[in-house]
Amino acid sequence: MIECPNCKHQEFVGTLYCTECGSRLVHVSPMPTVSIPRDRLESEANTTKPAPPEPELASGAMMGLRVLSSGEILSLVGRENFTLGRAVDGQAVVPDIDLATREAYDMGVSRLHAEIRMLESGIFLADLDSVNGTMINGRKLEPQSPSPIRHGDILQLGRMRLQLITRRKG
Amino acid sequence: MAGRKNYYSLLGVPRNASTDQLRRAYRQAALRLHPDRNERPGDTEVFLDISQAYETLVDADARRAYDQELAEEELEQAAQSPFSTRVLHSRRALLQLPEPQVHYMLLDIEPKEAVAHVRPPVNLSLVIDRSTSMRGQRLDHVRSAAHEILKSLQAQDQASVTAFSDHAELIVSPDQARDLSVARARLSLLQAEGGTEILQGLQMGLEQLELNFTKEGVNHLILLTDGRTYGDEAGCLDLASKVAERGISINGVGIGSDWSDRFLDDLAGRTGGHVLFLDSPRAVTALLENIFDSLSKVIASRVRLEGSLSQYVDLRSAYRLRPEPMVLSDSLPLKLGNLPANEIIRILMEVVIHPLGDQQMLTLAHFDVVGDLLAEGGETHSLPVLVEHVVSDQPDSQPPPQEIVEALSSIALYRMQDMARHEAELGHASHAAQRLENLATHLLANGQRDLAKAALNEAENLARARRFSTEGEKILKYGTRALLLPAHAESGGVTDD
Repeated sequence: MIECPNCKHQEFVGTLYCTECGSRLVHVSPMPTVSIPRDRLESEANTTKPAPPEPELASGAMMGLRVLSSGEILSLVGRENFTLGRAVDGQAVVPDIDLATREAYDMGVSRLHAEIRMLESGIFLADLDSVNGTMINGRKLEPQSPSPIRHGDILQLGRMRLQLITRRKG
Repeated sequence: MAGRKNYYSLLGVPRNASTDQLRRAYRQAALRLHPDRNERPGDTEVFLDISQAYETLVDADARRAYDQELAEEELEQAAQSPFSTRVLHSRRALLQLPEPQVHYMLLDIEPKEAVAHVRPPVNLSLVIDRSTSMRGQRLDHVRSAAHEILKSLQAQDQASVTAFSDHAELIVSPDQARDLSVARARLSLLQAEGGTEILQGLQMGLEQLELNFTKEGVNHLILLTDGRTYGDEAGCLDLASKVAERGISINGVGIGSDWSDRFLDDLAGRTGGHVLFLDSPRAVTALLENIFDSLSKVIASRVRLEGSLSQYVDLRSAYRLRPEPMVLSDSLPLKLGNLPANEIIRILMEVVIHPLGDQQMLTLAHFDVVGDLLAEGGETHSLPVLVEHVVSDQPDSQPPPQEIVEALSSIALYRMQDMARHEAELGHASHAAQRLENLATHLLANGQRDLAKAALNEAENLARARRFSTEGEKILKYGTRALLLPAHAESGGVTDD
């Protein structure tokens, strides 16, 4: 069985739309969900996980966000801050990084969801009063209060998960 | 050879049937058809055929030889068939999995290019509800719509108009329909009175069709009603099943909000027809003209999907997407109705596949696409379609084909309104309302503002009245059903790429 990320309804492997809530299930793993014992989950969450192997950025960018569901890498080069969200027709303020084509709607990403700021002291992530919240490595952020992020950190916007990739020059 | 049943379908078993399955099927046939106990003439002959089929298939050598012969025969059949098919799968490979999995197949049936399109004679019967509730605007519009249809008849066409309330009356006979001034005078006699007894009207309308029944043409009945029939539903449904065998199809047109959509869906579905909903009678002329126009393009009638699914596979649901969206039955054969020239019949099937071991290939189904070719005097043609698919231990990383995703996205919406209605009927009004709000969100995301609004209205209504409004249930049902029609197909042309 696989689980609908939206309503937790159980479906047969291969199902494309949740029969309970109508959400598209394409980005759910096509393999059956393996249930992991709760204590193991918690102990894993508490230990610092080794960073996954650093991806080669085809664009040569030194900094990017990896979309975990697809492996695609979004560049974070050329600006000092990036707003993340999903653009909708007729929207006045368009996010710098538009996640709309990446099923952001189904994943609960707000139009202007969060912001990444490149400062002297490091890289920071701030939640922009999003509906479904922003998390860093499973820890929920207070709205509008920037938190530092590092290479390998998992940023979660609604249910969409992104990983920060940085590679310093020299 | 066309239409002759092969040994497997005679026994009603899948092609990969085990000896046990064969034995069971044979025993069941023997119980019914054995010369010592059968009832109908011809049963003995059928039994002899089945015996021969059984004896051949239980013998491994004979079965191998027969399979070979059958394969060649089917190749020949496919070459001669007026139809061609295409099957699209939701995944490029099934998974070797110790648990059930869902799989989707999109099946297109289209006429081969070589099949000549001759405009077939149309034998049409209009059956009109004249009960008191039709009085005024509704009947006025229907009367003038009927008149317009009679005006567009060609020399080889036949038409009649029957009206019913608690009894049926032939308003315009096929002979009178030829003389427009007579037909107009007769139509003016159509006045509202009495109740709604659909069986009466259906019987008379079908009698008129039988008078001019044509094997080279389309035989079609359109039932227009705005009310519920009481007590004669079963009779109507039996009649529909019976005439469907003859090649007669039925469309239902429901006007307003007080007719029984489930009954009309069932009635039309049994004949491969479909149901249309009109919330105002104003559009009835355009609607009838549309139906008439597509009837005059039909090249094959009584199209159906026969054959069998493999023993690993169960059909969960089936929808026709083109030419007219319709919910189909969940067991074979599927009644698919008429195939117009320059169109395709497209159906989406959702199947559950039982746990698969380490096989590399799975036969999902042996279908037969069967239809009566009008240009050949209704000659039945059958096209065998073998559906096989790769089985792998690795999940398919490719996204499913766009056509399947789009179809399923609309089906998901259709199902949500259906579930909400069931929930409301079971007394879970707040669940139903929540589901409708969720449906509205999805509809908005798909750009369906009006339908989304209707869903929200209905959710509010549910909170107040604890049940669906008769109008809202139909707007949502037929509104979401209409979304099943692929967007580019609205013009009616085939996109061949």
